[in-house]
Amino acid sequence: MMLLQEKLNVGEMVLHHTADAWTIDLYPWVKAPIHLPRWHDVHIAGMTVNLSPTKHVVFMLLAAFLVFVTMMVAARGLARQQAGARTPKGFAGAVEGLVLWVRNDIAIANIGHDGAKFAPLIITLFFFILYCNLLGLLPHGSSPTGNLAVTAALAIIVFLVIEIGGMIKLGPKGYLATIFPHFPGLHGPGAVALSIFMSPIEVLGKLVKPFALAVRLFGNMTAGHFVILSLFGIVFLFGTLGAAAWGIGIMTALLVTGIMLLELIVALLQAYVFALLSSVFIGLMQHEH
Amino acid sequence: MHTMLLALVEEAAHAGPTSPFEVNFGLFFWTWIVFIVLMVVLAKFAYPAILKTTEEREQTIARQLGEAEKANAEARALLEQNQKALAEAKSAAQAMMAEAKSAAEKERAAAVEKTRQEQDELMARARREIQAERDKALTDLRREAVDLSLAAASKLIGQRLDGGSDRALVESYLASLEKAK
Repeated sequence: MMLLQEKLNVGEMVLHHTADAWTIDLYPWVKAPIHLPRWHDVHIAGMTVNLSPTKHVVFMLLAAFLVFVTMMVAARGLARQQAGARTPKGFAGAVEGLVLWVRNDIAIANIGHDGAKFAPLIITLFFFILYCNLLGLLPHGSSPTGNLAVTAALAIIVFLVIEIGGMIKLGPKGYLATIFPHFPGLHGPGAVALSIFMSPIEVLGKLVKPFALAVRLFGNMTAGHFVILSLFGIVFLFGTLGAAAWGIGIMTALLVTGIMLLELIVALLQAYVFALLSSVFIGLMQHEH
Repeated sequence: MHTMLLALVEEAAHAGPTSPFEVNFGLFFWTWIVFIVLMVVLAKFAYPAILKTTEEREQTIARQLGEAEKANAEARALLEQNQKALAEAKSAAQAMMAEAKSAAEKERAAAVEKTRQEQDELMARARREIQAERDKALTDLRREAVDLSLAAASKLIGQRLDGGSDRALVESYLASLEKAK
């Protein structure tokens, strides 16, 4: 109400609503924001870190819990249906279909024969990111994947899996060849010099992949929220126009509905893209010779 | 005014981050813990049950494919073996035929040769017999001729010409006739 009386700063409002927070706001039902506990800073490996839970941590835990419930319900349903020698159907059948799609068409299709080994990682990535994305579309919700720290942490997990998986698969000599490349047909000191000269580019290539993963997911989720909040901002900016405000309000509502539907696609698409590119990068490393 | 500003600053400090571009390193650890715990738990309790049927089916299909491939290879080997045996049998039959044919040919040639020999022999004997018969007839005829001529001559000269010398004379004459002939 204070916002209507004073001049609203839409930019600040947008940034504030897409930012992480130390409180959880359930305004109409709980009047005052719920304050999350603040803990003291801790020092880990020479870094000062505050591990206090934030709004994104809460929604991340919620997403993880929902993924867990989805999977366990599906697993139990499938087990019961198999015990009765029936074909999968209903919710369990749908989850089985999705899990199989991620396993076969994302993980195994891009990683190859060893895809089944990486399937738990890819399936968990897909569903965790999907649920995090979708939580941001709910009223009072917030996307943990709209937080650069969360997407970066996920990308670092993928990075470690790519590199450690490569070391195990290729052996020390084969793995070093991914940093110091061999050039077919080149021999002698020239080849060694070129190999050393190229190594910073190879290392950069390894680092760019997870960086792109992190920034793509963060950017897509945040941008969608920016668009929706900016459209809502129009309502407040032109709310004083009287009758015309009704037209603006209806147009804005229609636009936001459209963008919300688009965001549903984006939420699914970005989960798919993250899982797919992780598989592609793992597969590239696994088949490096 | 001053206290209000101070309160605002305090509120801002207490409200936490103000933009999505602020990076809170604490969230790295939260994300790692939440994600890895979720993955480990699901990989242990949920995914095996969800993927069980598919993995079993995949293994069955892989096994059946392997078996089919083996059976196919076996069938192919058997077919090859059969074809080889057939070819061997055919060539053996051909060899036997050729052998039989050549044996028959030889037999026939031998029979022909033998017949000709017998024929030749027969001819030779016949010729020899004819010769002998002719010689004998000739001798008989000659003797008859001598007798007749002597009888004629003795009638002619009214005396009996019966001496060995007379006979010798006529025979020598006849021999000369024969020579002149």
